Amino acid sequence: MPLELRSVGRRFGGLQAVADLSMTVAPSTIHGLIGPNGAGKSTVFNLITGVIPLTSGAVFFKGERISGLRPAEICRLGIARTFQATTLFREYTVLQNVLVAAHLLSAPGLGSALLWSSRYRERERRARERGLALLQTLHLAGLADQVAGTLPHRDQKALALAMVLATGAELVILDEPMAGLAAQEKAETTSVLQRLREQGLTVLLVEHDMKAVMGVCDTVTVLDHGLRIAEGTPREIQANPAVIEAYLGVEEPGA
Amino acid sequence: MEPSRGFGAPIAGLALLAAGVVALPQLTRDSYYLDVATTILMNLALTMSLRLQVSTGQLNMAHISFMGIGAYASALLVTRVGISFWAALPIAAVVAALLAFPIGGLALRVTGPYYFLITFAFSEVVRLFFNNFFVDLFGGPSGLVGIPKPSALPWFGRALTFTTKLELYTLMAALLLVTAAVLVRLEHSRFGLVASAIRQGDLLAETLGVNVFRYKLTAYVVGSLVAGVAGAHSHQVLHSSDFGLEPMVLLVVFTVIGGTGSVWGPVAGTVLMTIAGELLRELHHYESLVFGVVLILTMLWAPDGLVALPGKLARRRRAGVSLAP
Repeated sequence: MPLELRSVGRRFGGLQAVADLSMTVAPSTIHGLIGPNGAGKSTVFNLITGVIPLTSGAVFFKGERISGLRPAEICRLGIARTFQATTLFREYTVLQNVLVAAHLLSAPGLGSALLWSSRYRERERRARERGLALLQTLHLAGLADQVAGTLPHRDQKALALAMVLATGAELVILDEPMAGLAAQEKAETTSVLQRLREQGLTVLLVEHDMKAVMGVCDTVTVLDHGLRIAEGTPREIQANPAVIEAYLGVEEPGA
Repeated sequence: MEPSRGFGAPIAGLALLAAGVVALPQLTRDSYYLDVATTILMNLALTMSLRLQVSTGQLNMAHISFMGIGAYASALLVTRVGISFWAALPIAAVVAALLAFPIGGLALRVTGPYYFLITFAFSEVVRLFFNNFFVDLFGGPSGLVGIPKPSALPWFGRALTFTTKLELYTLMAALLLVTAAVLVRLEHSRFGLVASAIRQGDLLAETLGVNVFRYKLTAYVVGSLVAGVAGAHSHQVLHSSDFGLEPMVLLVVFTVIGGTGSVWGPVAGTVLMTIAGELLRELHHYESLVFGVVLILTMLWAPDGLVALPGKLARRRRAGVSLAP
């Protein structure tokens, strides 16, 4: 099991944002996490990636306990994420953003950077090539020298995904990858996610677009008020009366 | 082109700096101008290294203290231990860097205003320490006087002396050019890339696997090493107030007016403002008033500093052209 949550809980003062949540994400699958606003989805992502500490339970990745580690250490073990409000290094170009993200794979030491050795230059050149190749696969190669803060929304989303992939992560956690995208762009994102699964990556995502979630996910977990109310294949979830009552039937009729 | 890494290619900038440093003594040998120029070079080392720390998003108000540590360490090594200036210089710089580990390690656990206050408090502790403790060692409020000039160095059969203003200027110039080369190299390396990324989004950097704390601490220690060199380089008189709030604020003013987004920002800010300060000498302590006004105007109309202005104006002109029918 790449990712396993065991009775994970998080309390903010009097509010139990996530309660006793246990779930496993199987390798090389696309796993959706859905639920109405305020169900605790983003909190779960923050707990997994160490952005906020959990108040009970534990998180395991490939058999290793990761709860309690700092975000950078968790990323080093192979988990990378995007944020809901797409965050980028806005002053940097698209390629520079990817190079920062790729630093785990090719971080040169301070000494070799100062000496400007041929090995250092070779490594820098390879890092650029890898970055450009990655941008190519996400149709961003033409924008490599554009400043990230000036990109249109869909390209910023794609860049955030490229950065996550550049870390070399095995588990990719995406907070609303489709939000604000047009139908055509959603379809492109869906095919990118499917390609990642084929390459053996595991994807965990929060998404409000039910059509997209049901179309792309292998497994879906439903949260409501911090509690897991259902888990199963998209077909099972769509037929689950608890889900329909808590979420689909009320919040988004006809979805 | 790397828009956010500052203007100009690194080699061209360094060549320009070196040309200016070499040209000055050809233009004038006047001891007043050489004094001002030497001060500018020393301040350049301080502001360029301060900017390295600022590039990770942290304003270290104790930067001047590490200059003080380097200065007192070097002076005491020469006068009390009796070793040569040339041995004392690197030792003093390393002392400053070693002290930067625990101090930076402590202060960098917090960010923003808390960091500002902790480093400011530390700088006052250092200043008061030099002022009030071990008076027979540090000289107390009257300072440390009679520190000898650097001893002569053998150079291809003849002796290089460091007694005249020109020779002391040359020494500082050599130290600065090496420092600048290192800092510019660092800025244009992956280290500089990641450091400025941390300023733009430290949580994003952290979740992408960047050990943010280690980057900040590295910048802190390297910056303090440079400050130690600037302090140790050669003073004949030391006074604790040279390492207090007022000179620290000046360093911040120089750096911010020049612009912290580029490695060349502090160079522009320091050169222009030191010259302005000399021209305003007549005003005595009202000089700070003028600096304050310049700082406010810069913050209002050029918050990215002077070096960001040409690019901004060019973009505005281009935008103007494209708007025309």
